[in-house]
Order: sequence, then C-alpha cells, then structure tokens
Amino acid sequence: MKKFLHLLSGNIRKEYIEMKRYWPNTLSMILTIFFIFLTMFLGIQFVGDPNQADTNIQYVIVNYIFWYLTLVTLQGPGFTITIEATRGTLEQLYMSPMGVWKIFLARLLGTVFLHVLIMIVLLFLSMFVTNQWLHLNPLSVIPVFIFTIIGMIGVSFIIAGLAIIVKQIQAFLQILQFILMALTFIPLSVAPLLAYAPFVKGIDMIRQIMIYNMTLGDFHLTDYSILIGSAVVYFVIGMMTYLRCERIAMEKGVLGQY
Amino acid sequence: MGKLIEVDRVKKVYKKRKTKERITAVDHVSFHVNKGEILGLLGPNGAGKTTTIKMICGLLVPDEGNVMIHGYDIVKDRLKALRHISAVLEGNRNLYWRLTVKENLEYFAGNRGFGRREITPKIEELLVRFRLKEKENELVNNLSRGMQQKLAIAVAMMADTDIILLDEPTLGLDVETGYEVRKLLRYITEEEGKTIIISTHDMPVVQDLCHRTVIINKGKVVADEKVDQLIQLFDTRAYTIKLGDPLTDKQVLELQQAFPMYEYGDRLLNVTLEQENDIYLLMDILRGNQTKIEKIDRTAVNFEEVFMKLVKGAGEYEKVPSSS
Repeated sequence: MKKFLHLLSGNIRKEYIEMKRYWPNTLSMILTIFFIFLTMFLGIQFVGDPNQADTNIQYVIVNYIFWYLTLVTLQGPGFTITIEATRGTLEQLYMSPMGVWKIFLARLLGTVFLHVLIMIVLLFLSMFVTNQWLHLNPLSVIPVFIFTIIGMIGVSFIIAGLAIIVKQIQAFLQILQFILMALTFIPLSVAPLLAYAPFVKGIDMIRQIMIYNMTLGDFHLTDYSILIGSAVVYFVIGMMTYLRCERIAMEKGVLGQY
Repeated sequence: MGKLIEVDRVKKVYKKRKTKERITAVDHVSFHVNKGEILGLLGPNGAGKTTTIKMICGLLVPDEGNVMIHGYDIVKDRLKALRHISAVLEGNRNLYWRLTVKENLEYFAGNRGFGRREITPKIEELLVRFRLKEKENELVNNLSRGMQQKLAIAVAMMADTDIILLDEPTLGLDVETGYEVRKLLRYITEEEGKTIIISTHDMPVVQDLCHRTVIINKGKVVADEKVDQLIQLFDTRAYTIKLGDPLTDKQVLELQQAFPMYEYGDRLLNVTLEQENDIYLLMDILRGNQTKIEKIDRTAVNFEEVFMKLVKGAGEYEKVPSSS
C-alpha cells in the first residue's frame, strides 16, 4: 500500500508538472470550461420555459461536468498508451515491478483528481460571477461519485486493452465522445435499462442530489445495489480485459510498437 | 560465480501482418550470465538481439523455452523477476523530454514504489557520479544526446537492481562521451558488482568492457566465449602469405572453394583457417603450381574482424573448453 501511495503521488506530481509545462494547452482548457459554464448559466435562461430555467441550468451543467469527467477518465489509459508508445517510454513503464496497470491507474487517478479540482474551482467561479448557486452537498455526492468513477475506470481499462494491441484508437475515441454524451445526458426515467450500463446509474443519482437536493437516505437499496454492483462488475471486466490484451501484445511482440 | 540470468532454448516466431509469413527471429537460443559479469550480446541487424533482450525483460513472451532471472521465471513470476532488472531499451527515448533531469529520476523512482524522501540521497549520488548535478533542473529536451544517454543509464541505476540491460548504450555518441559512458559502466560492475548485458554494434565497447560475448546470427548463437579467447582463437588461424609468383586461375578457384573468406591481391594472400589442420590444405593448393612462398605471417586480429568472420559464416569455430 505504501508503495502504491508513492506511485500515486509520483504520478499526480508528473501530471501537475506537465499541466504547468504545457500551460497554453492547460490555459485554453480552463478558459473553454469557464466560458461553457458561463454560457450555460446565462444562456439557458433565455431558452425554453422561464419557470423551468433553474432546473434546466442545473441539469445541463451537471450533465456537462459528468460528460467531461467521463471523457477524461475513459480516454486516460488508452491515450497514455498511445502517447507513451510514440515517445518510446511505454516499454520503460513495463519494466516496473509494480505492474503497469497500477501505473496507469495511479496516473488516471492523478488526472481525475486534477480535473475535478479545476472543475470545482471553475464551477464556483461561474456561480459567483452569475450569482446563481447549485445545491452542492459534498457528503452525499462524494460516496456516489467514488463508485461512479470506479465503473468508469473499468471501462477505461477495456479501451486501454484495445490501445495496447492496435495503438491507433483516436478515431474510436472521437466516436466515444458521442456515445458518452448519450449515456450522460439521457435521464434514466426515459431509458430505465441504461441503469445497467457503466456509470449511468451513478450520474443519475448525483443529478438527483444536485438538482433535487436529495440525500443518501432518499435512495432505495436497489439504487445502491445497481450503483455498487455495476462499479464492481465493470471494474473487474475492465481489468481482466486489459490484462488479457497485455498478454496478447507480449505474445505478438506489439507492446512498444506504434 | 552464480548464474543470475539463464536463457534456455528460447524461440520467438513473428508473423508478418500482410503476407502472414512466419519469421523465426530467435531460434532456440541458450546462454547464461554470471553475477558481476558484463556480457556483450552481438549480432548484425535483424539477428535477434533486441528480441532476445526483450524476452529477458519480460516484454515479449517466448514461444518456446524460458528465461530465469534470479531463479524467477520471467513469464510466470514477471513482477518478482523485474525487481532484479532495470533496462535502457531505447536510449534517450526512454526519458520524458518535458521533465527535468531530477524530475525524470524522481518519476521513475516513484514508478518502482520509492518515496521521494527515501530516494533523494540516491538521486543526489547519481547526479554527482554521472556529472549531471549542474543540469539537474534542465529539461531533458535541452540536453545533449550524450547527457540524455547518461541520464537514461542513471535512471536504470537508480532502481538499484543487480542486473542492468543496455540496448546500444553508445549509439550516436561522440568519442569523448562514448568513452565516459564506458568508464561509468566499468565503474558500475567493478565497484558495485552489477551484472550487465550490453547489446551493441560498437566493437571497441565489447573489446574494452565485456568479459564474455554471445554472438547471435540469424536467430542462433554462433559464439559464446570470453572476448580474449575468441580473439586468440582467430589470431592463431589468420595468416598473411607473401607469394613470389601470381596464383593461377585454378588455384584461385580452389582457394574460393576451400576458404571462401580469403583475400588476394598484389601477391598477398590473407586466409583464415577454420581448423588448424587446414594449413596443410592451403599448402597443397599453393604447392600445386610450385608457387614460391616468400614469407608467412600470423595476422593480428581485432575483435571486429572476429565478429565479421563469425557472422559471415567463416566461424565454424571450435569452442575453447576453458570458457565459463
């Protein structure tokens, strides 16, 4: 555990340093998110039923935050593999006795942590600028968020498995954006079966906490069963798929190829 | 000396993506490396050196055979075996170019589970020994190739493993930096007792550093011998003969058949004999036309010539029994 914590802190630090070094890219990302938040806060008031404006704003903002975080999480390890293979550092990562999946996991947690931090700061800044405040209940949001992220990590390792064999997955990641948009924006009341899809149940629960001010006590046992069950199932499937793909890549000799 | 690495009849076959043609990159290769030894892994391009190195690192799974590192099977107990190995596989490409020298060392230390505080003394020591201290806050991108190469080796050293694998450690370095890298590698083995495998085309590196060499050609081991013994072996079989008369066409033809690697010009004949007894065959050919022999010298052979002879097929050599 101590070793994993060192691995985690090393990877968070590296992500932070690279964000600083590639500052024009980071700055444009921050500005884009900030202006999207502002547009949502200010723009939606003029669209649709004025009585529903508050609910609409909150709905769209929560959806946008989760679409963005899902995108960052799901692309993480796959994107890391592609970049590291191009740079020539991928095989060096595979020389770690910690196991490379732990490095990818640590890096992913680092990326998610930094992006969540940026999102929170920008969200508060946008609420302050527009003087419109969302119901934020961290005690209820954080536990659901953790299980939602676990499911997302599982799916991201399935994509990483694909990347380790074929490397060129950019086109797939482009399509993925739209699939994720559908998964994060469609409410479960419209498509109840989507609750069994990865991370959708969690996002729906967070939406209800943030928009309708629900607490953890307001949810049923079924909600928690689906939330935790899907997180565990998708995480296990993701890891198994990744490790199998890693073995195939080592047998075929395509690990470091690009 | 105990064996730290045992490569036992490993085989790797690749399938070409388009033609589905199967190519045997490594064909039942076996050798071992003793503790504290520097082993040179040599061979022409495409001989199977990198494939062999990658199988030792556990980056490639052999189709047949196995590799034992410190008693651990690299396929079955990969992570345990990796605790004993570090490698520089692609030289300066193994580094993060947008991180500084120190950040690279810290990052790779973290990836092996070391905490920053715990690894700092080791990093400081490496920065001084590798003469990188002045550049510790410089981006790798801004370093010379030689410095990048030294940093890549320092990263491998930082893990403090007893085995280090180096793929072309002096490739693209100028003479001075190449010499410095050689000095560092000698220090690493002599003072720290590390075991090193170097895959290289740089023959002075082999002659200067390696205790033993394994030469691979077309996926097979063609020599596994101590460097000086290989040179000695070929030294005693290489002759330069000054002739009093030119050779006839018939003699040239006979020489071609008997000694394919011979060189002839200006009445000077250079021949390397595959076996000591071949000297009689050579004399028979020359005697056939009563060719006058003015002088016979044994030629001094350097390691590069030995290598060339081995990989070009003249080297069906008799193994020296005293080799480890």
